[in-house]
Amino acid sequence: MELLCCEMDRVRRAVPDGNLLHDDRVLQNLLTIEERYLPQCSYFKCVQKDIQPYMRRMVATWMLEVCEEQKCEEEVFPLAMNYLDRFLAGVPTPKTHLQLLGAVCMFLASKLKETIPLTAEKLCIYTDNSIKPQELLEWELVVLGKLKWNLAAVTPHDFIEPILRRLPQPSEKLPLIRKHAQTFIALCATDFKFAMYPPSMIATGSVGAAICGLQQDEEVSSLTGDALVELLAKITNTDVDCLKACQEQIEVVLLSNLQQFRQEQGDGSKSEDELDQASTPTDVRDIDL
Amino acid sequence: MSEPSRDPRPIPRGSKVCRRLFGPVDSEQLRRDCDALMASCVQEACERWNFDFVTETPLEGDFTWERVWGPGLPKGYLSAGPRGIQDNLGGGRLPSSSPALLQGTVQEDHLDLSLSCTLVPRSPERPEVSPGGPSTSQGRKRRQTSMTDFYHSKRRLILSKRKP
Repeated sequence: MELLCCEMDRVRRAVPDGNLLHDDRVLQNLLTIEERYLPQCSYFKCVQKDIQPYMRRMVATWMLEVCEEQKCEEEVFPLAMNYLDRFLAGVPTPKTHLQLLGAVCMFLASKLKETIPLTAEKLCIYTDNSIKPQELLEWELVVLGKLKWNLAAVTPHDFIEPILRRLPQPSEKLPLIRKHAQTFIALCATDFKFAMYPPSMIATGSVGAAICGLQQDEEVSSLTGDALVELLAKITNTDVDCLKACQEQIEVVLLSNLQQFRQEQGDGSKSEDELDQASTPTDVRDIDL
Repeated sequence: MSEPSRDPRPIPRGSKVCRRLFGPVDSEQLRRDCDALMASCVQEACERWNFDFVTETPLEGDFTWERVWGPGLPKGYLSAGPRGIQDNLGGGRLPSSSPALLQGTVQEDHLDLSLSCTLVPRSPERPEVSPGGPSTSQGRKRRQTSMTDFYHSKRRLILSKRKP
């Protein structure tokens, strides 16, 4: 028993399975099923009356901060956003329910992906107790019903390893590229314009943007520019022009986030501690475009 | 549930992340909306499976529902969990729904029973609908549902235009 307690600290995880990551069938199957899990429409236009795009951004930022503070697995946040978008694409919702829904979606995504999931009580505290655990549990069933219990959605994270394994990168550079790509994926999940893009394209664009950004400081890739984009596009069967456009959009989102960050820093209204918490997983500030 | 002191990921004291985003939440409205949405979920499932999941009674439709006896079922379907408790509160409606199925075993029958469904052709009632193809209708006796029943896969045009 005591031994078990000692092991509770760190989450144990399996080593990456090279057989799965290198097998083309796995990547092909992911590409085949990924679009099943996209929201069915651009819901601000056709479903929602009360909820505005800036409110999605507010709740997404809050969700990211919760996931950050709780050190959730990287995929929890994008998966939770996928649930939220799919729910909102089908159910007209008043804005006062939005934070509850965000909490429910994190609750579900955490249970699906984590060894030690977030508890209902903890999520309610993060809403400043504006909702009760009982309400969270009841709405969990509602969201599950509306998502038809289809929770194992494909996210951009599922593509990161298969893509990286197919690039001619020196392996010591991979952790840094992976970390930056994950940051871009989180950024994309906060921005509604990426909500309807296939996860494979977001992943490919994020890896491309990560390598391009890092390349300016140090040699992380033997392939650059058009050759890199073409190889990336080939790996995930993406159109080259679409991929370039996606990568540019990702870089624009990064820039606007950086500007916002610098503004907040300039204001001096927030402490450094707080900014660290509010930022995305890695130091987006270090990426220079 | 668990002792807070053992929480491996406690919420930092005075965390700025704890905040309400859109003002006060109306619990009454939450309850009403929750009930309405649950009712619509139940209704959708009811139409999808021609089965009333509230009273657990089969309805007219594509699927034929029949009871399955306990011994062949995986244990997970037999436990008297919260669902069993609800059943008891519901007031013994299960035995009354089809007494013929309760032959022999009297003790706690409703916990040992489950339902299986099969997709059957409706043709037996009106054979004139498809006179030419009895073989085809026989052929689709059982059909497994797949993800595609729930989600339509479609290609979208991504990124309308690219900045030069």
